[in-house]
Amino acid sequence: MRLTGVRRFHWARDVEEALSLLDAYHGRGALLAGGVDLGRSARTDLEGLIDIMGIGLSYVREEDGRLRIGTTTTLTEILEHPAARRYLHGALVEVLCRVAVPPLRNMATLGGAVVSAHPWADIPTALVALGAEARWEGEREEHALVEELYRQPFRAVFRRAVLTEIALPPWNGAFAFEKLSRSAGDIALLNAACGVGIQDGKIAWARVAVGATPARAERLTWLEEALQGEAPSDTLWRQVQEEVERRAKVGDDRRASAAWRRSVAGVVVRRAVARAAERAAR
Amino acid sequence: MKIYFELNGVPQYPEVEPGESLLQLLRRLGMKSVKEGCGTGDCGACTVLVDGRAVRSCIAFAARAQGKRIITLEGLGTVNDPHPLQEAFLDAGAVQCGFCTPGMILVAYELLSRHPDPTPEEVRTAIVGNLCRCTGYRKIVDAVMLAAEWKREGRWR
Repeated sequence: MRLTGVRRFHWARDVEEALSLLDAYHGRGALLAGGVDLGRSARTDLEGLIDIMGIGLSYVREEDGRLRIGTTTTLTEILEHPAARRYLHGALVEVLCRVAVPPLRNMATLGGAVVSAHPWADIPTALVALGAEARWEGEREEHALVEELYRQPFRAVFRRAVLTEIALPPWNGAFAFEKLSRSAGDIALLNAACGVGIQDGKIAWARVAVGATPARAERLTWLEEALQGEAPSDTLWRQVQEEVERRAKVGDDRRASAAWRRSVAGVVVRRAVARAAERAAR
Repeated sequence: MKIYFELNGVPQYPEVEPGESLLQLLRRLGMKSVKEGCGTGDCGACTVLVDGRAVRSCIAFAARAQGKRIITLEGLGTVNDPHPLQEAFLDAGAVQCGFCTPGMILVAYELLSRHPDPTPEEVRTAIVGNLCRCTGYRKIVDAVMLAAEWKREGRWR
């Protein structure tokens, strides 16, 4: 543990108290949920930790076809919840069982994954593809699609606000998630998530996101538009692979080169799209 | 600040520092089975059970133990009265240097508490985050499968 500057630890009882404590520290306090990031952090500026695991945000609920998940719900709790397992024919199970390893999933929370938003993370990619909505409370209650949140200076937002809920909309279709990593439990070298709806044998809608490029997840709206109205076929999947390989925005980092990412991006996206379409057609 | 928690069935009221890790606290309380390996939650040597769930104590805050039930390897068995999982690790030859063993056994304990009849693949998935650099994983998987068999036969206490 390297947070040597921390002098106080608070157990907040509700969102209001967490916000009030956060405000009192003037930027030198941090909200503590699963603690996977803060437990590894070497920040020297923090003086206070505000535990938010007891503020009533650990829940999974189905409402009007939407799946609402409180942000302090751990990844294991989501994986074990019947409603979360049912959502979009197991979409969340497919993603979450590939995120980190079981003891870290016992600690990590959904909200932590959204706020940390590591560019290589799998959960933001899936949430962007699924059209998830984030809700938070600061000076007032606000909400935005996760993909829109990531276009804002969201880290500054959550220095003064508590992310309270992630809501997943109902979709008439199927979903697939692909991840390339060196070993099971490792972080992604590239990931892709895709939702597809099929009507009369043709793709009615598609949502595709690619992450760990090494930038954070972005939707491939040009591909989504191109897929609409097309009938699933091997020829189509080959075109998807070639076009993604040509147009993907990829870069270098210490884990993989841009050239390598380009060479695999087409395959990863093709697999996600084809598998989602195959499931949607069943 | 003073916290309260249950360690291997025994109430504890230690003073903890706000930034202290659970690993530091547990070792301070004499639980030397809790090993510091990577210190970043990646290797699994520091794994303990918090309310029945395996967690990485090196990145968990000690203050978070407040009100929890924590089990370390010392709480499972002793040299004279080993837990069946410990016996299975010995029988299967799943221990060499032993540094990863406490974490491996506690992760296996959580798995078998929830899934008493796992496949070898499910065991491999459960221990995927616990690194062993000398025994190799095959005998560890064999040991967990053996312990699972004993559990189904009612040989666990």
